[in-house]
Amino acid sequence: MSRRQTQPFSARPQELPVKADLARLRVEYGKSDRLAYLGHLDLIATIERCVRRAGLPFSIGNGFARRMRIQFSGALPTGTSSSCEYFDLRLTERIDPDEAIGLLRAATPSALEPTRAAYVAGRLPALEAWLNHASWEIVCPGASFSAGELLEGVSAVRERGTITYLRGEKEKRVDVGSSLVCVSADDVEDGVALRLETRSSGVGALRPQVLLDAALGEAGLERPRSVSARRLAQWHEENGRLVEPFGPFVTLGDTPLS
Amino acid sequence: MRTKRENLFHLIEPLLSRVEHPARYLDHEWGAVSEQDGPFHLCMVYADVYEVGQPNLGVAILYNNVNAQEGMSCERCYLPWKDMASLMRESRVPLLSLEGAAPLSSFDAIGFTLAHELIATNVLETLDLAGIALTSAERDEDDPIILAGGPSAWNCEPLAPVFDAVLLGDGEESIVEVCACIRDARAEGVSRAEVLRRLARVPGTYVPSLYDVVVDDTSTRWGYAVPSAGEDVPAVVLKRCVNDFAATPAVAQRIVPYMGIVQDRLSLEILRGCARGCRFCQAGMTYRPVRERPAEQVVSCGVEGLLLSGHNEISLTSLSTTDHSQCEEILRAMNAELAPRGIRVSIPSQRLDSFGVDMAAAVAGGKRGGLTFAPEAGSQRLRDVINKNVTEEDLESAARNAFEAGWRRMKLYFMMGLPTETDEDVVGIARMAERVLEIGREVVGRGPKSGVSVSISVAVLVPKAYTAFQWAPQLDPEEVRRRQQLLLHEIRDRAIRVSYHDADVSLVEGALSKMGRAGFELVRRAWELGCSFDAWTSEFDFSAWSRAAMECGLDLVDVACEEFALSARLPWDHTSPGVSKGYLQREWLRAVEGVTTPDCTRESCTGCGVCPSLGVHNVIQGVRA
Repeated sequence: MSRRQTQPFSARPQELPVKADLARLRVEYGKSDRLAYLGHLDLIATIERCVRRAGLPFSIGNGFARRMRIQFSGALPTGTSSSCEYFDLRLTERIDPDEAIGLLRAATPSALEPTRAAYVAGRLPALEAWLNHASWEIVCPGASFSAGELLEGVSAVRERGTITYLRGEKEKRVDVGSSLVCVSADDVEDGVALRLETRSSGVGALRPQVLLDAALGEAGLERPRSVSARRLAQWHEENGRLVEPFGPFVTLGDTPLS
Repeated sequence: MRTKRENLFHLIEPLLSRVEHPARYLDHEWGAVSEQDGPFHLCMVYADVYEVGQPNLGVAILYNNVNAQEGMSCERCYLPWKDMASLMRESRVPLLSLEGAAPLSSFDAIGFTLAHELIATNVLETLDLAGIALTSAERDEDDPIILAGGPSAWNCEPLAPVFDAVLLGDGEESIVEVCACIRDARAEGVSRAEVLRRLARVPGTYVPSLYDVVVDDTSTRWGYAVPSAGEDVPAVVLKRCVNDFAATPAVAQRIVPYMGIVQDRLSLEILRGCARGCRFCQAGMTYRPVRERPAEQVVSCGVEGLLLSGHNEISLTSLSTTDHSQCEEILRAMNAELAPRGIRVSIPSQRLDSFGVDMAAAVAGGKRGGLTFAPEAGSQRLRDVINKNVTEEDLESAARNAFEAGWRRMKLYFMMGLPTETDEDVVGIARMAERVLEIGREVVGRGPKSGVSVSISVAVLVPKAYTAFQWAPQLDPEEVRRRQQLLLHEIRDRAIRVSYHDADVSLVEGALSKMGRAGFELVRRAWELGCSFDAWTSEFDFSAWSRAAMECGLDLVDVACEEFALSARLPWDHTSPGVSKGYLQREWLRAVEGVTTPDCTRESCTGCGVCPSLGVHNVIQGVRA
């Protein structure tokens, strides 16, 4: 009999060891096709249901709402796809990561397919803040401008130092100097591809489309009819070093890592 | 004209980044039927946004049943929100189904669920976005057959010109028979008119175009429908009823949405029908008889459904869940099974007695949020009028029990404008709220930190077809507002919060509930003037409805507040849920006299006529408490 049939859900919270003692399974997954349009909260609810369907022995918090103990990497802008999203799931029982991936795959829509899983140290900081460095690609099919013209716009944005934009009715300001690590652009077969690396902090993060819009505005270029954005990789950056989500981990500063 | 069936998602995709909640238009949810090969294609439409329509159990049941048939496919469609509808019109993108992203106009049949009266303009908006003629008479030979059903089909006359056929009662079996009828008739190459004639022979199917409306001195101003000359159709179309309810799948919802929806949990219909006999309640009359699922089916299917869906909450739904004769057994078994797995069991409403509180405690575990009761009226006299068989003592003991069990917030539902209501009854609502608050303070304490509060919600009675109040006038909106002010004036304690329904929204709902076929012109004109999503407070435009009424020579107050003679032939008399008109007339007379009628699942038959006319009977698994 498979685990899915015998252990569909976790045990009661009060029967559990304390949180720090629970196994912490890190899972990498993608976000593609039309599911790129899932908002972050909808994505969280969807993944939680996948975990329940998979029958993993997940842990439940002791709060009023008794939520699943799961943490996610930072929100993707709605409409942006990715091959490198992560969640950390606390388990009451240490099961083989390959088995966990198999169970998850069988219970997850293909556009959110899990690709890797491994245990990480329980005391590692929360994913959302820890993964603070990302690379992105934006493709502008049928663009009416060249890669060079776009880069001129990006340079103008960098000189200006900050981007101010409206998100809904709220005005946002992002510091380009600290959040934009590097940028390049290429003329590709049917348009222009912009690649960039960003660094997020407690103050804010630079959304690739915001940079694109600002650059187009600075250079007086027409916005393409459609753009497709993708997050290509995420890392933890500390003291100039990039740490992969699955390690190898080293002792960095005061953070206790495995 | 029937359009080509093809996947047009590429036309919608560029619009997704420009609209609010693009997840509404994505499809590919877990459990959705991706293979839609047909060759017969039905599209079920809930004419509101995805998050409102997706939880609808009726659509889920029919979706499963049709997709289970060899050679038949069923897809879903919801009405796009205004931002998307505007972009679709601008980009000339027709309304598409979810699963196959196929134009609605390419389907063999389209089925609308009429969940409430205020969905009327959305039905027209849906057809217009789909590029399908609004009325049956305007449609081409090969256009899709437009079907309807659901709770508001019981007076579908204001939309009768829209629908080619209306399915009355339980749709599980009849939707398949109707689809088969359309498929076979089309295969024979018969005319559209002949397809409709054949549909009228499927039991429980009303084909409006085969009936004429007659207005004479035996009727109301809206007239009554009779078979058109030469048409061999029943004078009264009787509803369909699934007698072996336990043989139907207990869990109908197999699609797990990506986005948050209004009832974001797994629903399991544990019983159908209610025989309590509340005289204002349309569902109580139209869903009879009462049919319970056995406890073991509820528990095992619920657990299995949760495993398959991944939901963390299950709702045991019905018109009156705590009336299930095995309710306690079901809740205890489900809690024992599910609580250790972090899954919550919920029930939609509590019975107004101590048993109801016990059951609420059984599902709440250690949590104590708010608890809701529906006394409906503020005095015993008026509760007898509406046949709400609860006493002051029931309410007080339920409230005391709830406060002692740890609840601090109580919500009470009332109605205003009930027949024979006086100012004394309205003031009685305030007094009852104060009494419940006082009980809470007696139990919990009077300190500011006791947290005891009562909120009361007051709706306006909208008299509905096939209820004992179907002849009654709706209360004039000006009088509604006066009584609302009276109630507010009478509430003196700040721990009691009051909310009430908008009198204008209720007025339009009342007019739509009362009108006959000629009311379609009002619906059409209101839609032309921009009305849609009328059930959304933010979108309801009373001035447009008033203007539409004026242009149609109608006055909304005059329509909704008209009293019908007890002997009059009513606009909906040609359809029947099995409850006899004589029974409803008797119930009306007993209401006026303040005489109550018992529940036939607890006492003897009350003679409503459903069982003999439909050949069915109540199915009760145990003994009702």
